[in-house]
Amino acid sequence: MSDPVSAVRQRIRGLLVDLFGAEHPVHAAPDEGSLRAAGVSSTGLVRLLVAMEDTFSFEWDDEVRPEVLRSIDSLAGHVVAVRG
Amino acid sequence: MPADDEQPGTDLSYHEDTPRIRTRDGVGLYHESRGTGTALVFLNNFFLTSPFWREYTEELAGHHRVVTYDLCNHGASSRHDREPTWEEHAADVVGLLDGLGIESAHLIGTSASTQLARDVALAHPDRVRGLVLAGPVFGLTGMRRHRQLNRSWLVTLKSEGIAALYNQIYPEVISGRMNEDGGTPGFLGLRESFMAMNTLDQLVNGLTLAQQGDPDPALLGRVTAPTLIALGDDDILLSPGRGHDLAALFPDARCQIMPNAGHVPYLDDPEGFQGLVRKFVEETESRV
Repeated sequence: MSDPVSAVRQRIRGLLVDLFGAEHPVHAAPDEGSLRAAGVSSTGLVRLLVAMEDTFSFEWDDEVRPEVLRSIDSLAGHVVAVRG
Repeated sequence: MPADDEQPGTDLSYHEDTPRIRTRDGVGLYHESRGTGTALVFLNNFFLTSPFWREYTEELAGHHRVVTYDLCNHGASSRHDREPTWEEHAADVVGLLDGLGIESAHLIGTSASTQLARDVALAHPDRVRGLVLAGPVFGLTGMRRHRQLNRSWLVTLKSEGIAALYNQIYPEVISGRMNEDGGTPGFLGLRESFMAMNTLDQLVNGLTLAQQGDPDPALLGRVTAPTLIALGDDDILLSPGRGHDLAALFPDARCQIMPNAGHVPYLDDPEGFQGLVRKFVEETESRV
């Protein structure tokens, strides 16, 4: 059975497919890789953040640290942390 | 949502094969040029880089030649030990026009770079066909409010870093409407771009320079180029009424109020802003 962070990572990757399609270069990026370097624009990031709120039933906070938004792995870690 | 809903123009990546334009001794400017026709040159304030404008100039580039560039010592332009003066930034604008074979252009300034647009128009009136001043930093009798705002931002930047600076700037320059509509995801998404475009040194240098230059409003009366002031009705520096009063200080200017927009109105309403610019350019060109 996968650990909670791994499961969230997979769901985030599913959201990325839904948002950007299966051909987007972000899908080749490692979990720890920069989303911006993988071609996720600020507009795309906003859409991902909104989708994550809906999928994981939480709300982002203005105080969240910049590094949380860096990669799939850091996003997943945040989700697991805020959801306990 | 399908893949083609993603906007490829919103990325901030550089076209690294683009040759730099030599403007002054040792200075090479990164630039992008899209479209054909009358040239529109976008002057960055100290928070923006050239690739940022792709998303906000798509419509304009369909009708005109849109030129964006990185200021010297910023983004992908050459780095030097000393931050350029306003006069050197103005010389860079003229050097950019020379390098691109542009005889004269419309200059689009935003916030701090409206001062640069003014200076180029005063020093090189033959090179400026028109000015668009988005969220101008000029007051009716001086520029103390803008200087104080920049000083406050600089203190925050030096003491707490870039993210803290963003936290302070966002509610000040973004309209209340955009802030509420975008919510936290909008705030965080723009913060990611802000941090990707800027370094501590660039911001310190830019915010320091923004507090310098001649604040005399009488200078505006010497600008001969047709001028459009694009002012959000939620701008932190100027009320709509004062925007019209500011336009009256120029020999040939008008103020267009953008509803529910803040100090950077092209963020609140990219299509509306481009429409205003396009209309102004077409009106100005028809008078030539």
